[in-house]
Amino acid sequence: MRHPASGLPPAPAGVSPGGSDSEASLYEVRQKIYPRAVHGWFARWRIALVLATQLIFYGLPWLVWNARPAVLFDLGARKFYVFGWVLWPQDFIFLTGLLVVSALSLFLFTAVAGRLFCGYACPQTVYTEIFMWIERMVEGDRMQRMRLDRGPANAVRLSRKALKHGLWIGIALWTGLTFVGYFTPIRTLLGEVASATLGPWETFWILFYSFATYGNAGWMREQVCKYMCPYARFQSAMFDRDTLIITYDAQRGEPRGSRSRSADRARLGVGDCVDCGICVQVCPTGIDIRKGLQYECIGCAACIDGCDQVMDKMGYARGLIRYSTLNAVAAKWDVRRMWRRVLRTRTLIYGALLLAITCVLLGALYLRTPLKVDVIRDRAMLARETRDGMIENVYRLQIMNTSERDRRFTITATPESGRAGLQVMAAQPVAVAGAHTASVAVAVRADPANLKPGTYTIRFHVEDADDPALKVDEKSRFYMR
Amino acid sequence: MKHAMWILWPSFLVGVVAEGVFFSMVDPTDLHLFGQPLELSRSAVYTLGFFLFWAFAAASSALTCWLQHGINGSESSDA
Ligand code: SF4
Ligand code: SF4
Repeated sequence: MRHPASGLPPAPAGVSPGGSDSEASLYEVRQKIYPRAVHGWFARWRIALVLATQLIFYGLPWLVWNARPAVLFDLGARKFYVFGWVLWPQDFIFLTGLLVVSALSLFLFTAVAGRLFCGYACPQTVYTEIFMWIERMVEGDRMQRMRLDRGPANAVRLSRKALKHGLWIGIALWTGLTFVGYFTPIRTLLGEVASATLGPWETFWILFYSFATYGNAGWMREQVCKYMCPYARFQSAMFDRDTLIITYDAQRGEPRGSRSRSADRARLGVGDCVDCGICVQVCPTGIDIRKGLQYECIGCAACIDGCDQVMDKMGYARGLIRYSTLNAVAAKWDVRRMWRRVLRTRTLIYGALLLAITCVLLGALYLRTPLKVDVIRDRAMLARETRDGMIENVYRLQIMNTSERDRRFTITATPESGRAGLQVMAAQPVAVAGAHTASVAVAVRADPANLKPGTYTIRFHVEDADDPALKVDEKSRFYMR
Repeated sequence: MKHAMWILWPSFLVGVVAEGVFFSMVDPTDLHLFGQPLELSRSAVYTLGFFLFWAFAAASSALTCWLQHGINGSESSDA
């Protein structure tokens, strides 16, 4: 992948793209990359974010609100419950708004600091992190894992592997269950699992999602980012020379070379990189950041932590690998200068747009009337005359109470252009339970003495009998003959 | 294997979007098949619908992959 803005030569990938050897490595995915555990500032951040996102993901379905799940996408009833809100298919616009907000945030974050999302919040990274953690607990760190895999298939190895996969599958299943728990109340779901009465579709989706989790986090890992992720490919369009990325300071590090701790760098003519290879060993995608920015880099900052440890040990300043911008590295800017450029027109525009849309969306959500009305004319009959000489049209009103309170509504109708009164014949008031729809047959009558033959636009007014502030007007047509 | 990923994954994403857009506007209980109302539960229709979308998108991706393969092949033989 080229980075048009970077001015760097497109760095060759760590694995040759295409070709039979990389094809083979897809079948034996873990053949080369045994990421080494790393500790440090960014690793702590990553762990914190893994915990936070997973606490939300696994926890949300359990939250209760108004005696129902706080977040529930009830596809069967075509209603979405999100805390105090009940969203209907008619509220599709909010979903669209949410997607726009997400996309803009992604643009903003990418323009400011590259693949922040990938390194810290992407489910792929997060589950890989969790799965690798289990792997480390069961099989040990890098060297032990490599030895185990190369060693004989003895009882130790088999039991370790069995334990690891058992734990992985357990987590994957729980993840699948949680996922489906967003669509079916999770307590119901667990009850069904316990009593083996789970429906076929739910069973299918739990297994499907579990399988995807297990496969992606356990086996595919960095392959997903390298070959499957569209974001990894189009991110270069959002990068420029002022984007914070993981950079190796080649001016400071080169020429690299090993030396003893006490050696004099100036006399040896070497840079700060001791060529220990730690940065490569910790990298979950197995690349060498010293070759420059590569599209495989998910910006996880593991190499920063790794290298900083080495620098500490050597007694050198930290930050040989660090978050920096191409401009800053090239011109040796200090941190203040760099950050001033990070807040450039592009990020300010993204930021302003994001803020504006978020405000509009929240405002609209807050001001949303919890009442919707659809008027459907009875097509079979235009108008008919009643026994007492009135002209009658028949309609069907769909009254949707999108709040969670039970409400009673009254229906009235008036012609668009003042004058004659219209009589509404329906059993009033209409009671509609919280988050339910009532379909009411309504006949509207007019006195032919007051209204000439023709077509009139009329308005239905649906009003909460107990809260007159809540009302909705809906147009329809009235035929007079 | 890589081709399988290139076909299945983008089509999966497109399938998810198509499913979301389609079923947010269409209620599965309103659907008719050859003039007969579908006698399936909503979750069944959602599931089948999703796999149908996925399958169609995958077919398109597969065709693209296949066509591109031919082009790359002829280019490399020319060079
Ligand atoms: S970890 Fe730092 S010192 Fe070691 S090889 Fe990488 S850049 Fe050089
Ligand atoms: S190069 Fe560094 S930041 Fe990029 S993926 Fe590898 S370890 Fe993470």
